[in-house]
Amino acid sequence: MTAIPMGTSIVKKQIVAVSGLALVGFILAHLAGNFNIFLGPEWLNGYAKHLEELGPVLWLMRIGLLAAAIVHITFTVLVTIENRRSRGVAYAVAGSRGGTTFAKKTMILSGLMVLSFLFLHLSDFTFADKHGSASIVAGANGGESLGLYGIVWNAFLNPLRVVVYIFAVCCLGLHLSHAIQSCTQSLGLSDEPVLQRVTFASRVIGALAALSYASIPVYVIVRHFTVGIGV
Amino acid sequence: MSATIDLTLKVWRQQDRSDAGHFETIEAKDISVDASFLEMLDLVNERLTLDGREPIAFDHDCREGICGMCGAMVNGQAHGPESKTTLCQLHMRHFSDGDTVVIEPWRSRAFPVLKDLVVDRSAFDRIIAAGGYVSVRTGQAPEAHSIPVPKNKADLAFDAAQCIGCGACVAACPNASAMLFVAAKVSHLSLLPQGQAERRRRARAMVAQMDREGFGNCSNHYECEAACPKGISVAHIARLNREHLFASVMEKVTG
Ligand code: HEM
Ligand code: FES
Repeated sequence: MTAIPMGTSIVKKQIVAVSGLALVGFILAHLAGNFNIFLGPEWLNGYAKHLEELGPVLWLMRIGLLAAAIVHITFTVLVTIENRRSRGVAYAVAGSRGGTTFAKKTMILSGLMVLSFLFLHLSDFTFADKHGSASIVAGANGGESLGLYGIVWNAFLNPLRVVVYIFAVCCLGLHLSHAIQSCTQSLGLSDEPVLQRVTFASRVIGALAALSYASIPVYVIVRHFTVGIGV
Repeated sequence: MSATIDLTLKVWRQQDRSDAGHFETIEAKDISVDASFLEMLDLVNERLTLDGREPIAFDHDCREGICGMCGAMVNGQAHGPESKTTLCQLHMRHFSDGDTVVIEPWRSRAFPVLKDLVVDRSAFDRIIAAGGYVSVRTGQAPEAHSIPVPKNKADLAFDAAQCIGCGACVAACPNASAMLFVAAKVSHLSLLPQGQAERRRRARAMVAQMDREGFGNCSNHYECEAACPKGISVAHIARLNREHLFASVMEKVTG
């Protein structure tokens, strides 16, 4: 009737889960890589160079990631549309007994926020000219390019961008706080005690991911106004 | 003489399937706090009838919380404010004098409203008919101990078997999904030795029928577990997800 023929409802959710897990893997690996910024320009630029040197392997990972993202978005939009249809007439009084949460109700929104942010993020860093004028930090490194480090530094001196970034990573954290728990359930890996622990772990990981990602722009700003770039 | 309360009911009235329906405000005065919710409706209906008005249609049968016939949304909660309580077992002492009580039917595309608070839950019957059974030769009941059942499995199967099919899980789910119902039935049978022969076919057939009926997908909100008058755990949904995954993979492998 209302079902869109793309596998059973359970299969659809399991496709969302597997593609989502691939994205979670990326999010955590990306975070670990980004931490190089705290060690200074050589580390971050070295890490970036390392990635570039992977060549075809990097492209394979990028294509895999893109595929996971496309699958995830397609299926989540699909199930969200189906789910909106299935109620029919809305309740006059909508109540909750505490099963659902803000994070659960806003999965499509937090997801779409992360997606829109992604375009800004790619143009800011991934596709930026690593040795162009944006990589030169005023009064640092004798006016020479500071590579990716310089680009990140300059980008985060713009308060509007910092606010947008922090908002985006909070959306990401919110998404993860439900997502990891939801995956274990959708893939049938949980029983009662496991579900309780995974739910807790999911929220902790979501919060830590948001805080850790947000720490990068905060670090740049604080350092700019205190000790300066120091190179 | 027990205490009484006065309530204002805002009740969904709908003549039949094709009627658009509307809320009607009905004063329910002098309601004994010892009455059950359905007894309160009985009283209101008696008075409506005496006034020459149409009584409120609602489903009920056992009135002891075991048949699964009763159910309505009361102030946005399936079966009302008390947890693990069917509407027939809800008592008016949980309401206060002067309360406004909004009463709506279960809302789901798969449960069309037949009249007022009565919805058509035959979608559940069709899901059961698709595979929620074990095929056995009829005849004399076999000796209970001839088939050993491990204690832990028996306990889990009993938990799942408590489902009375009332539909509160669907009504409470933000997606109007029937996963807890289907999970309870699949779980119950797949845990027992008698359910093994049809285990894979059952999981696939019941889920396919659930989808055909137009229920939503499960987003793991867990409102169903909170609303279930029998407190059936969403762990059964995880088991259904696992059963269905395994059955689908095996279907691909073995045909
Ligand atoms: C880095 C980005 C993302 C990660 C790490 C991620 C991860 C996940 C994971 C693991 C799940 C749980 C899957 C399940 O319960 O089976 C999930 C669910 C979901 N994701 Fe994402 N996701 C991301 C981006 C997006 C985007 C861009 C969208 C927007 C369309 C989105 C929309 C959703 C929705 C709506 C759900 C819930 C589906 C449901 O249960 O009904 N996600 N996500
Ligand atoms: S009337 Fe049987 S459960 Fe309520």
